[in-house]
Amino acid sequence: MNRKLLTGNAAAAWGARLAGIDYVPAFPITPQTEIIETLSGWFERGELQGRMTVLESEHSMITAAGAAAATGVRVFTATSSQGLLHAMEMIYTVTGWRAPFVLVNVSRGLSSPITLEPDHNDVLAARDSGFIQIHCANCQEVLDTMLIAYRLAEHQSIRLPIIVNLDGFYLSFTREPVEIPDQSEAREFVGEFDPGQIKFRASMPESQAVAVLGGSPYSYFRYETHLAMLEALNVYPEIADEFNARFGRFHGLLECFECDDADYLFVMMGCFATKAKDAVLRLREAGIKIGLLRPRLIRPFPSAAIAAAVSEKKALAVIDQNLSIGKGGILHAEIASVLYGIGQAPPILASFIGGLGGRDISQEEFFEIAQTLINASKTGETPPPRLLYTAREFKELKNLRAIAQVERQQLKENQP
Amino acid sequence: MTDTRFARMKDLPSTHWLGAGTPMCAGCGGLQALHQIYDILGNKTVFVNAAGCMTLLSIYPFTPFRGSWLYTAMGSAPAGAQGIRDALDILLEQKHIPPEEDLTTVVLSGDGSAYGMGVSATSGAIDRGLDFLYICYDNEGYGNTGQQFSAGAKTSTSKGPRGYPGYKKDLFALWAANKPAYVATVIGAEPLDLARKIEKATQLKGSRLIIALSPCPTGWDFDPKESTEIGRLAVKTGVWPLKEYQDGRVSHTKIPKERLPVEDYLKVQGRFAHLFEPVRNEAMLAEIQQRIDDYWADVV
Amino acid sequence: MFNIRFHGRGGQGIKTAGRLLGTAFFLEGYEVQDAPRYGAERRGAPMSAYVRADRKPINARGIITHPDLVVVDDSLIPVPAAGVLAGIRPDTVLLIASHEDDAVWRSRLNLKSPILTIKPSEGADPASVSAACAGASARLTGVIRKENLIEALEDELGKLGPALLKANLDTVLQGFESMSAHQGLVRQSEAIALIDYQKPEWINLPLEASELASATIQGAQTSVQVRTGLWRTQRPVVHYEDCHRCWWVCSSFCPDSAISVNEEGFPVIDYEHCKGCMICVAQCPSHAIVAIPESEAQRLERQGEQR
Repeated sequence: MNRKLLTGNAAAAWGARLAGIDYVPAFPITPQTEIIETLSGWFERGELQGRMTVLESEHSMITAAGAAAATGVRVFTATSSQGLLHAMEMIYTVTGWRAPFVLVNVSRGLSSPITLEPDHNDVLAARDSGFIQIHCANCQEVLDTMLIAYRLAEHQSIRLPIIVNLDGFYLSFTREPVEIPDQSEAREFVGEFDPGQIKFRASMPESQAVAVLGGSPYSYFRYETHLAMLEALNVYPEIADEFNARFGRFHGLLECFECDDADYLFVMMGCFATKAKDAVLRLREAGIKIGLLRPRLIRPFPSAAIAAAVSEKKALAVIDQNLSIGKGGILHAEIASVLYGIGQAPPILASFIGGLGGRDISQEEFFEIAQTLINASKTGETPPPRLLYTAREFKELKNLRAIAQVERQQLKENQP
Repeated sequence: MTDTRFARMKDLPSTHWLGAGTPMCAGCGGLQALHQIYDILGNKTVFVNAAGCMTLLSIYPFTPFRGSWLYTAMGSAPAGAQGIRDALDILLEQKHIPPEEDLTTVVLSGDGSAYGMGVSATSGAIDRGLDFLYICYDNEGYGNTGQQFSAGAKTSTSKGPRGYPGYKKDLFALWAANKPAYVATVIGAEPLDLARKIEKATQLKGSRLIIALSPCPTGWDFDPKESTEIGRLAVKTGVWPLKEYQDGRVSHTKIPKERLPVEDYLKVQGRFAHLFEPVRNEAMLAEIQQRIDDYWADVV
Repeated sequence: MFNIRFHGRGGQGIKTAGRLLGTAFFLEGYEVQDAPRYGAERRGAPMSAYVRADRKPINARGIITHPDLVVVDDSLIPVPAAGVLAGIRPDTVLLIASHEDDAVWRSRLNLKSPILTIKPSEGADPASVSAACAGASARLTGVIRKENLIEALEDELGKLGPALLKANLDTVLQGFESMSAHQGLVRQSEAIALIDYQKPEWINLPLEASELASATIQGAQTSVQVRTGLWRTQRPVVHYEDCHRCWWVCSSFCPDSAISVNEEGFPVIDYEHCKGCMICVAQCPSHAIVAIPESEAQRLERQGEQR
């Protein structure tokens, strides 16, 4: 068994390597750069066959990725945060090409203010693009998900690009023990890329991604992309079972931790969810029946699986590491849309915003969220949305602000 | 030009590779140049298109191309060419496709992309030595959306109601400064000069870039039948120098013996009416003429 | 509500005709919507414009599927893509700009709809025909007064200067007067009734294979199926007795690959696709290619077929 300490970035690079990628269009951005540096080293040393091209922007990088996939090679690329946003025009565009490839996004909060630390607003900006989205919670999952992602993306009835998401710093720069599958076994699992009829060849003229006139053909092509993505909900479990049978690790549509007999659930995505697991264990010791629900697939959204998992629970706390400005937590809204109209929907669906820009979520905060759920369940009243933010933090902010404003203050005082 | 198969006009292709039935305007100078270019390039090509008038060459389910096409976006067509070129190279190296399945990658963009949004992607492609051909049809404005001025706009006045307060960006020089394999200006009204340049470009490797001045009846406001004559006037007045760059040297391929006054070119286009009506703007006309004279004074 | 649909060609004043009528309704105190609708095609290609007018606020939008009045250039009636006759009802009035008479069109079209024609004056440019149609339409509604039509024209075309304004005014008023016998012929129609409405045949879209379900064309030169020859208002005709067989001129300059070269070296014009730009006419060194009006060319063709 080949078990090593790997960062999340290295695990992503290993996943790409084991999947047998041919081509990496690249552009550096923190905290993703280590992935392409790792791959670049392997290419240089001949440990990996294929080619890497450094483009001049993420917009160009995604264009090249889509174009190469549409020509029939297996493509990997990676970005983060502002880079993903800079590429956004092409993120939407390439999904219509039905050219599968895998993009790793290392989540990092968006400007302004600019930050290096993680939250999920970057990747959620791509939510409606047509990219499948899989969110990981540890480094092993990152590597395994890469192999699953190629299988899923290239599946003949799907053929869509996939974003594999990992959180900056907390996974990207954090080493954990990771079991690296055997190269030949991994290749056997992933298989060869069959581009089918979508490829550029001299003998087969093909005009790709052409314009349409009118809403009717446009509706057809857009909705077909939607149907193809929904099909991934049917295909994914088969691939996950096959992965489990071969490698002994199961990665489902959702992770349900201590959910079965739970009255209450934390609902979270990404690696901060493992913090919630710890809290679940402590709360269970105190006799509180609580669990954690973590959707791994965000697009397609596993609505039926989520509905089944939360059915008959007393209360849910959705802890969003993102903020739809002017609305609130994005996952909260998505979960709410699943619950409406189902028979045994939990009466309480509370919203918490935590972890923006990498702000920590403490165990005490998880405990307090659980207590809030218990109280709400008794009174039947859903608490208002809450930002996890303490009086102490606000005091510290005021200290920073005093420095930031010092000169203005002096000017004011000096005025006659 | 001894080693060209285009010695005389009658050597031009008599069969045409680009299909009819496109939605380009009647009298489109860009389509004129494109069909002449395509006749020489042929169908073993993949055109990577940037947003512009010619986005609409291919509208589902109709395409005029005998080869292939990929629509990308306004800012990144050269990157699309990069992805396809790299992928084809990988497939050839791995012997997954035979050499006869290879394609020439061609970027097709308007001046809006070439002079503006796409400069970064083009510069990147040249830096990387991308083996591709870039064709810019330059109609000096965002023709697809109603001829707003792009950075490729010709020359005009800061005083007139429709004037663009500046002069045309020198894209030829900008590209040549990146030291690609080849840069040339062409025009559909001079098909022999165009054919020789495209022939030369196809014989070279690396980044090869072509700017085709494209008289635009709709945007420039003239009768479509005048399209070719106006193109010819652009050359005869010296407004559009036909030239090429190779191995660090710029050479002019057609130097007008006696340049016609620029006014001859300007007065036949509605877009320059403000230079003549309600009163002739002598100062501006003289300034435009002076700029052209200055340019040619430097040409040996 | 009045639902009025104009059909014409890009660059021939159809949009202006619609705006003119819209403004005239507005000056009469109507609620109004007017809009042009273009496809991807350019100058010369079929396009349409819509005008709605009502005493109540208008909630309808976009395409007029069931017009009360259709105004059309006769060359577009046989063009399927123009959709001139789409959604017409027995009481929909057809106003056709044509050199032929009402009777000819009544027998040719065999419709229940009232059909009227407006004759373009000799050598009239297409924009002035559109202007005359706008004036005629105004009269057909029966609710637009001459003074408001004039004010609308000043609003829309005043920027062209007094000479052009005057010329247009004459044309518009001629159109207006020409329909005096038919004032108020156009009836307003009501929204579709709930009773007995036609159910939309909705389907559950099936998931289809990606190469079929993406906007991909797996073929070459399919564009030749588009008959851009229908854009043409002028036709270039080669007089072979004057042709010097310097095909490299016309065949290279034709932007649309619509001039091929036959075995003897003569150019052959593809009228299915020639858009009528007339570059070949302007460039032919021996003046062997001449321009004739498309309607005239078609009339000669029909005569030839009959003979």
